[in-house]
Amino acid sequence: MITRRTLLGTATAATGTMLFAPRLRAQGQDVLRFASSAGGPRAFDPNMTTQGSDNWAMIQCFEYLVEPPDGDFGKTPDAFEPALATEWTTSDDSRTWVFTLRDGVQFHHGYGEMTGEDVARSFMRAKLDGVSTSSYANIAQAEATGKYEVTVTLTDPDPLFLASTVFSRRVLVISAKAEAERGEAFATEAVGTGPYKLDRYDPEEGMFLSRHEDYWGEPGHIANMEFLYIQDTTARTLALLSGEVDMIEGVRAPGWIPQMQSQMPDLIFDLTVPGSFNTLFFNLTKDPLQNLQVRQAIAHGINKQQIVDALQPLAKMVYTLNPPDYPTGFTEEELPEDLRYEHDPDKAKALLADAGFPNGLTIPVNTSKREDYSTQHLIIQEQLRAIDVNIELNIMDHSAYHASNRENANTLNINSWSLPPVPLFVYSNYAASSANMTPDGTGGANYSHYGVEMEGVDDLLAQMLQATDFDGYVEVGREVELKIQRDLPMLGLPTMSYVVARNPRLDLGYEVTGGDAYWRFNHATFVS
Amino acid sequence: MARYLLYRLLDAIPTVFLVLSFVFVAMRILPGDPALAALGPQTDPAQLALFRERMGLNDPLWLQYLKFLWDAVRFDFGVSFLSNQPVSSLIARNLPHTIYLTLTSVVIGLALGIPFGVYAATRRNRPADSALRLYSLLGYAIPDFYLAAILLIVFALNLGWFPILGAGTGFWDGLHHIILPALTLALLKSAFLGRLTRTSVLEVLGRDYVRTARAKGAREGRVIYRHALRNALLPLSTGIGISILATLSGSVAVELVFNRPGIGRLLIDAISERDYPVIQAGVLMFAFFVIFVNLAMEVVYVLIDPRIRMAS
Repeated sequence: MITRRTLLGTATAATGTMLFAPRLRAQGQDVLRFASSAGGPRAFDPNMTTQGSDNWAMIQCFEYLVEPPDGDFGKTPDAFEPALATEWTTSDDSRTWVFTLRDGVQFHHGYGEMTGEDVARSFMRAKLDGVSTSSYANIAQAEATGKYEVTVTLTDPDPLFLASTVFSRRVLVISAKAEAERGEAFATEAVGTGPYKLDRYDPEEGMFLSRHEDYWGEPGHIANMEFLYIQDTTARTLALLSGEVDMIEGVRAPGWIPQMQSQMPDLIFDLTVPGSFNTLFFNLTKDPLQNLQVRQAIAHGINKQQIVDALQPLAKMVYTLNPPDYPTGFTEEELPEDLRYEHDPDKAKALLADAGFPNGLTIPVNTSKREDYSTQHLIIQEQLRAIDVNIELNIMDHSAYHASNRENANTLNINSWSLPPVPLFVYSNYAASSANMTPDGTGGANYSHYGVEMEGVDDLLAQMLQATDFDGYVEVGREVELKIQRDLPMLGLPTMSYVVARNPRLDLGYEVTGGDAYWRFNHATFVS
Repeated sequence: MARYLLYRLLDAIPTVFLVLSFVFVAMRILPGDPALAALGPQTDPAQLALFRERMGLNDPLWLQYLKFLWDAVRFDFGVSFLSNQPVSSLIARNLPHTIYLTLTSVVIGLALGIPFGVYAATRRNRPADSALRLYSLLGYAIPDFYLAAILLIVFALNLGWFPILGAGTGFWDGLHHIILPALTLALLKSAFLGRLTRTSVLEVLGRDYVRTARAKGAREGRVIYRHALRNALLPLSTGIGISILATLSGSVAVELVFNRPGIGRLLIDAISERDYPVIQAGVLMFAFFVIFVNLAMEVVYVLIDPRIRMAS
């Protein structure tokens, strides 16, 4: 029989045990825990992921045919190394690409050896299904031309095919057999060949991986990985500082990194450069932004260096649409002086006066409450005040902001997008008339209406599309860059690195310098 | 009694209908495109259109509304726009966590608040009473998310006594994980309940039957807990009902800060991403909970106060 005294004694002992339980700081050496900032996972299939955070688990489990060295993009065709393909050839017209596959590559969960059929299916489903089919429209056909050979035929030449398509997540190689067997469940139970395999997908907690023991390459050093979702910044930060997780997605706001460093001085920050392009679109359908002098005045009113300084070490300077280290990007010295748009408030005021606005003007602008957007818009608002341009900012939630952009309701919207060093991709999405944003939501991301409201760069893009060699492609691309700079339908703002904070006990095995906003951990080890 | 409960349940039907209608309209008025939110701003326009078609977002609003009502009556909330999971399974996985957190907080809040209140009432205008008033003031003033962060920093980060993340697995681990979130809500609730108990007890302490009990030589403890507190329970039970509902709404922020699964966290994510099916089902669950708590409180009134029982 339980007496009152026994009950109270047991309760006190249990409470005491809990209160003085060992601290949770030091996690084991066999689990790497990563916390992203989203609410929960949405998909695991590389052709279906729409939430950046999901890519972290996904990239540990799937592989490309070829890829650049870890931690960066491949900015030229010769920057790529073998992965699932051991070698590749291209035709003179850059339309036919043949890949020889690595033999003996095993899929996870006993789905057998990877063959040309799996690779062909991975390419074709990116073209036919999924969420980015238009990015793969240039693929005419992908077919297995041998057990270990795949031939991809393109409609138009693409000398940058490795960077534009092969090293893109929608064509990460999946098991065609598993896809057929698992049906709709494949979206959260996809099967790949990577160094880790998915053991559990939990819509609330996250994704749980373990080492793929039959991996063809060097096996992952850490046995298990957990990709957790911690939406609240405070909770995520505390989880890192307490040692409960090893890495967290950072916050792209002024002062976040120094604040974290003050809490934990030896914390490591991995930054991708350039990270996200930040592009300021002048909506050419809105008064008075049709006026080139007004656009030039705004460009001269914006002090990019001040933005870079405010967002150190995340922000990096750009002078044109593409950053300087991308194939068609310009350095300041390379750019004609009149197209540099250096910060010059007096010149900006003179341009406004010439345009008929001697007393300045007011422009209503919508912005997102997300830190990276609102910070830039707020800085620009303050800078333009000095040239008598009054920006009436309407700060809204992120979904509403993008909806307002798509409905043609915004005037000077900023779009942030982590873009690869594939210039045609950037121009096609931002500057081509075919990407013109339409208020009914059927258009693309050309928020300026460039090429529709004024003559654009469609002719040059058509030339780029037919270029069969990299140098020719880049040459035309730089012309596009200059024309955009001259017409000024959009203005490149400083890029913003994607940031991950890492516990110093975790060594990634390589340095992150650029690349996509997700990277692999198979070389990672815990150090004392 | 059964007839009384049945009438009260029937009364709840228009409330549920109004909640359903309100949440449907509110979601459609809010700016934001669910397709864009679910698939991302960089998604192909064709895929966005396909998504809208598949999710019935292109249907006329009246048709969407009727479908929604018909599905709600059958407790079929469709699939989440974001995760493509059935909403009913998302609710089923998250609701128990929210109920567990709410109940634990209420139990701790009652266990702290009522003795505090009684103690302060019996020591009116003495230091204990002043301390309770200060505690109540702080409890009213401190936001739950702020207290949650303070407790996390002190007890989880600096002292390392409690975990920071999640809900844990198994009974003991779950208990270990729920202490800080439950304490966050309970401390705030106990401030409210303590103040309410103090006022209610003070009111009855001057009554004739209390004086009579003392005159008859009853021990002070018996006078307080048997005679005074029992009669102070009616206003207190109203306060407990309000407290339970406030705890439920407070769980939204606490689930987020402690990264616990639950309806609150699910709703926050769904609202920011315009996941209509999840929002609709989540709000409906909250509405049911409010109706249930109100009903339970009315039953409690009936049980506590014979006058209401007679009237009903």
